[in-house]
Amino acid sequence: MPHYMLLLYDNPANWQNLSPEEMQQALEKYMAWTQKPFRVDSKRLAPDVGRVIRSQGGQPRATDGPYSETKEVLGGYYTIEAANYDEAVQRTLDHPHLEYGGTIEVRQVYGS
Amino acid sequence: MTPPSETGALLEHLFRHQAGRMVAHLTRLLGPARLDLAEETVQETMLRALQTWPHQGVPENAAAWLFRVAHNAAIDAVRRDRLIGEKTEALVVELSQASQAAPGGQDFEEQLRDDELRMIFMCCHPEIPRDASVALSLKIAGGFSVREIARAFLAEEAAVAQRLVRAKALIRQRGLTLELPRPADLQRRLDAVMEVIYLVFNEGYAAHEGEDLIRHDLCSEALRLGLLVATSSLSAPRAHALVALMALQAARWPARVDEAGDLVLLESQDFSRWDQRLITLGFRHFDRSMAGEEVSEYHVQAAIAATYTRAAAGKSIDWPLVLSLYDQLLAMSGSPVVALNRAVAVAKVRGPEAALEAIAPLEQNPKLRHYHLWLAVRGHLLLELERREEAAACFRAALECRCSEPERRFLARKLAECGAVADAATLPAA
Repeated sequence: MPHYMLLLYDNPANWQNLSPEEMQQALEKYMAWTQKPFRVDSKRLAPDVGRVIRSQGGQPRATDGPYSETKEVLGGYYTIEAANYDEAVQRTLDHPHLEYGGTIEVRQVYGS
Repeated sequence: MTPPSETGALLEHLFRHQAGRMVAHLTRLLGPARLDLAEETVQETMLRALQTWPHQGVPENAAAWLFRVAHNAAIDAVRRDRLIGEKTEALVVELSQASQAAPGGQDFEEQLRDDELRMIFMCCHPEIPRDASVALSLKIAGGFSVREIARAFLAEEAAVAQRLVRAKALIRQRGLTLELPRPADLQRRLDAVMEVIYLVFNEGYAAHEGEDLIRHDLCSEALRLGLLVATSSLSAPRAHALVALMALQAARWPARVDEAGDLVLLESQDFSRWDQRLITLGFRHFDRSMAGEEVSEYHVQAAIAATYTRAAAGKSIDWPLVLSLYDQLLAMSGSPVVALNRAVAVAKVRGPEAALEAIAPLEQNPKLRHYHLWLAVRGHLLLELERREEAAACFRAALECRCSEPERRFLARKLAECGAVADAATLPAA
């Protein structure tokens, strides 16, 4: 079955006003979603700015990532199985990330 | 790393229980003026757990993980904060040393209890207004959000946020510290703490509106804080009385409404639904409150709650005893609400006529005029005396007041008993 990547974008400000109890409820929802049978893999990215490497005048140069310029940052990803885009989207609609104000980008892994 | 499928369920209220401890602990290390920084650090720590655990599994010792991450996050925050200036390195050293201690170890647990105790005494410092102390204690020690506090107290979120800002500003301006009160000051400081705890409990237990779940959480938190204080080195017999009073009242919580969600009066309650664990806890602390000569209002209230609770053991309620306790309480407090509660006991012992007479002076009290329980008690007594029209007027007026849905239905039932069903059209829509 084809693989789809779910790219999870976060806005850290969304979490500022939640109580510990609400944070734990959110955590439990994320953990439950991660148990879905069609999930292949998932990873969290380190909460730092990362590096961006571009070629400048033929020379590769690394700079700090775009963290400070955008409110939403790529925070992690999932790989899931789905027959097609429709199913991939359908399977993602109940991801708690959406409930907590995040954004999810769905991309098919080419050739999978 | 544990695959997610093998991780166990999270401990119930893990975050709530650890958040208060972490904030108290970090505030001791960072200083009370940096309470905000401690709070932000703890929020960041929980976010880190939220982002990591779904993928890597819940760590074996989740509490230790939280404390380790919190220490590291605090070190980062201290290094980032230029305002800390030359104190930076000293703070970093202290935080690093503290991070070596492991939660779960006995010394560390004792240290944390001490941190929490100091924190609650600071939050309830007499220099801080009561309403602000209540909000601050719930936010800092109890791990409630501004939204939850606002919901529990039927206040605007902005108003609660404002109280918190004011309280924190006072802590900085007056230089309030986490030092334990000096012996000369102890009684006054202890009374302030107990007053706040009891306010929180009462709001949870006796609030007339609001969501049940959050009110239940308020009661549990008040009981937890009460126990923290009562079992500390700063305790006094009246602190045990407060715990007894709260535990014995809270024990009746499960039986207060029936399956349909309707109010059940004390004498008709299903005693088997009373919480035995809380009853045991309550009586244990009631015993401990007897040490010494002191008799506080908390003592008398605990004695009343204990008298009711004994009814669960198959005995009928000893109303003459309840009445004499209310006499004592009224003499101590002079509160109109106590006088009203006393009237219920008067009716049981001396009849409804005497009870009506006893509450007659309260009629002039403007505070009670829109208090639904005053109207409900008066209506109840009038109804017993077959003065149906006057009783109906009371219940109708009570229904105009703010009260909870179960109370509203109860009042409507009483109104129907008055034979006033014919004009049910005048009932406010439920």
